[in-house]
Amino acid sequence: MSSITLTDVTKSYGSTQVIQKFSSVFQDREFVTLLGPSGCGKTTMLRMIAGFEKPTTGEIKIDDTVVSGEGRFVPPNRRGIGMVFQSYAVWPHMNVFDNVAYPLKIQRVPRDEIRQRVEAILEAVHLSQYVERMPNELSGGQQQRVALGRALVCNPRVLLLDEPLSNLDAKLRESMRFEIKDVQKRFGITVVYVTHDQTEAMAMSDRVIVFNKGAVQQMGSPMNIYRHPANQFVADFVGKINFLRGTASEGRIDFPGGPRAPSQRGQGMAYDGEKRGPVVVAVRPENMTMRADRGVLHGTLSQAYYLGDTNDCRVDMDGISLRVIAAGNTYGQVESGAPVWLDFNEYLVFDDDGEDQTRILS
Amino acid sequence: MFFTPFGAALFETGGNRVSVQASFQENKRFHLDVKAALITAIVAFLLVFNVFPMAYLVFRSFFGENGFTLETFKRIYTYPLNWNALRNTLVTAGLSMVFGVMIAFPLAWLVGRTDMYGRKFFRTLFVMTYMVPPYVGAMAWLRLLNPRVGTLNVFLANLFGLSENPLNIYSIGGLVWVLTTFYYPYAFITISRAMEKMDPSLEEASKISGASPLKTVMTVTFPVMLPSIVAAGLLVFVSAASCYGIPSIIGAPGQIDTVTTRIIDYVYVGSAEGLTDATTLAVSLMLIANLVLYVSTFICGKKQYITVSGKSTRPNIMELGRWRLPVTLLVTAFALIVVVIPFATVAMASFTTNLGKPLSASNFTTRYWHILFTRKGILDTVKNSLLSASIAATAGIAISCVMAWLLTRTQAKGRRIPDFLITVGSGTPSVVIALALIMTMSGRFGINIYNTLTIMIVAYMVKYLLMGMRTVVSAMSQIHPSLEEASLISGAEWQRSFWDVTLPLIAPSVVAGWFLIFMPSFYELTMSTLLYSTDTKTIGYELFTYQTYHSQQTASAIATGILGMVVIVNWILNKLTKGEFSI
Repeated sequence: MSSITLTDVTKSYGSTQVIQKFSSVFQDREFVTLLGPSGCGKTTMLRMIAGFEKPTTGEIKIDDTVVSGEGRFVPPNRRGIGMVFQSYAVWPHMNVFDNVAYPLKIQRVPRDEIRQRVEAILEAVHLSQYVERMPNELSGGQQQRVALGRALVCNPRVLLLDEPLSNLDAKLRESMRFEIKDVQKRFGITVVYVTHDQTEAMAMSDRVIVFNKGAVQQMGSPMNIYRHPANQFVADFVGKINFLRGTASEGRIDFPGGPRAPSQRGQGMAYDGEKRGPVVVAVRPENMTMRADRGVLHGTLSQAYYLGDTNDCRVDMDGISLRVIAAGNTYGQVESGAPVWLDFNEYLVFDDDGEDQTRILS
Repeated sequence: MFFTPFGAALFETGGNRVSVQASFQENKRFHLDVKAALITAIVAFLLVFNVFPMAYLVFRSFFGENGFTLETFKRIYTYPLNWNALRNTLVTAGLSMVFGVMIAFPLAWLVGRTDMYGRKFFRTLFVMTYMVPPYVGAMAWLRLLNPRVGTLNVFLANLFGLSENPLNIYSIGGLVWVLTTFYYPYAFITISRAMEKMDPSLEEASKISGASPLKTVMTVTFPVMLPSIVAAGLLVFVSAASCYGIPSIIGAPGQIDTVTTRIIDYVYVGSAEGLTDATTLAVSLMLIANLVLYVSTFICGKKQYITVSGKSTRPNIMELGRWRLPVTLLVTAFALIVVVIPFATVAMASFTTNLGKPLSASNFTTRYWHILFTRKGILDTVKNSLLSASIAATAGIAISCVMAWLLTRTQAKGRRIPDFLITVGSGTPSVVIALALIMTMSGRFGINIYNTLTIMIVAYMVKYLLMGMRTVVSAMSQIHPSLEEASLISGAEWQRSFWDVTLPLIAPSVVAGWFLIFMPSFYELTMSTLLYSTDTKTIGYELFTYQTYHSQQTASAIATGILGMVVIVNWILNKLTKGEFSI
């Protein structure tokens, strides 16, 4: 059993608060991802769990042990945690074996056992044939695996990963994703994973915690976060989305649109929600249907890129450019520059509070 | 990798790397106290042996018995000899600066950025000259360009059928020539380093925009490098102005005084008034040097945009095409004239019986080498120098390691104070440091270490500590903190992680830093000239007395020995650190 309990944790550097009050319990064997743009506080959070940073207030427990709290602080070397660093932090003066064996040497594990366990781990991270190599003779992906092996060799209660894949190329990143997930399942450990890449977060996590400016924006399963973003920041950060400013009234949302004659009425669509007044409608590109002949909203197809399974389009709607991912077979049915009709199949309505206006189009 | 007295300090300003919050140690008051105690100890050392003596020097030159006065300055400079000395210092240092940069920039560019033949070799050669004591150059050129019997002079006169020898080393021109050939490496090193750090895509962007290689050098490389070039020039200026070895060997026979030689003359007079006059001259020199240091570090340093990236990038190499061979020949000629011929001259002189005749089988002797290895007087000075330089280097590198830790791994308050003091100390002319120590450490203020090796060690540390510190700091800042964190998270205590991870990674730099303090301390001349006593003569001073009074051949043998040592140390460092370090 290895859970992590964070209670009212905050962190300030001088007068700047970088983490606002945060509480959560990471369950045993849970894969938790801290997601957010750079500088949002996610790495600080992770480093507090590791013990490299000390929370300004609050308490951190691993299982039932308080590792950081009122008058108590367990240094990182006594926390029994495995960690993979963004820069890998593979020691350049030790070969693969010595790097991985290091935590065991610290624990004074007998030599034979060290050999066995290191070999087993190297097997698990597919490095068996590189035992004697020095780090500078390894590729980025292999160094990454050394770091992972070193973090796992002691059977840690908790594994922390700080943007471990950000220095790898796209293809390797994708395969490492599965490897890490696989390792987590096999070893049955609790993982806290930090990333700014939402695809990574979606693919691997049981639970995603979205951070911005030191505050939690939303906590939930990947699907929950994607389909029901709590606010415009989350909607925008996770996945692709279009924002449209409009006015909600009983049964209807009107889009004032771009420049048009005052007599002309804007476009609108049916709405059965509770919100009234200025709103922001958020719709994902894949949640729209584009047709040549009928629909609720109309616009002009300005660009279309045929991607095989889909047709990636830009539709100009009263001066607003919407990204629409339409079915592949729509390509060629509608010419660039021709009028099109759009239906919003699934969308979200946020109050227009004037904040979080990232890419809001009005 | 190499460091110049304060040229290296300039680069540091760009490297505002994110320091690691070592906050996992914060909870223990013990660690905070260790930091505070270490800073206090280092600051205390610097206050006593660096700040206080300098401050006293300034005080004494401005305050007479009746309070503040400029009387001494007025008296000193109404004496034409001193006025001339100041003028000579400024003129020779200024010209050396101009010529030094004019030589160093193209050389650095050719060696660093073109496909000239033998780049690596030339680079090592020019950098190594940096570690050779300047007085060796003076000795060599004295023999080459003596107005009556100078080898080169005679050769030139015969070549062109001149009735008299064309060149005279005992002149302002001669002084400038030797100063330039011995201080341009300072500029070469500073500029090379900046060039290495310059992002090559800046030049690529210029080329892709259609600029020719020459146009690129003139419109991108040169302007981007300008702050470093200015800094390099100022470094040459201060070094040349503070130099004693060259003007004392070349200037004295030609009756060309400089501020440094005047200061030492005044000290040798020995009277109270002599000391006051020396002090006043020293303060003038110190003010000039510190002003230049200030401009260089805080004005040029701020403009060093090139170092922002901080990472070393692979420079793009320009193909010289049909110019490749001619350019290589030109640089070879330069190296021959400036490095090979002078050093060979000194080496040959050490084997020559009669210096008036060329070296030949009948004029060959190993007598002077025999003297070098047997005469007790010389061996004693070698022992003194070895001892004091080793202690200075060991203590200095210990302080350097602590400073590196404080600067790169902690947020301790006040950690910049010793850093600043060490930088200022190194920028202060040697003659000023020595004089300040004499004035304050002879018992007047409760400390009497005059006439001991201790005062030499202290002086060497004040002057050369920066070189060691920069080396270790730079090595330490290149070790990503996560390497240490990875060890902590693996379960190691911080002591263990220092031992297992940090130390092995910085060890080559620590060794290199040790030698960077040791070598200049070992053959030091200027400070030793003022601080020696009968029992504490150093090899540098011994060489100087042999050169000036007894036997130029013996002096040449000593100088050749030092040259050999420089080469060997350089080679060891290269091997030890797999080419990463050389002096």
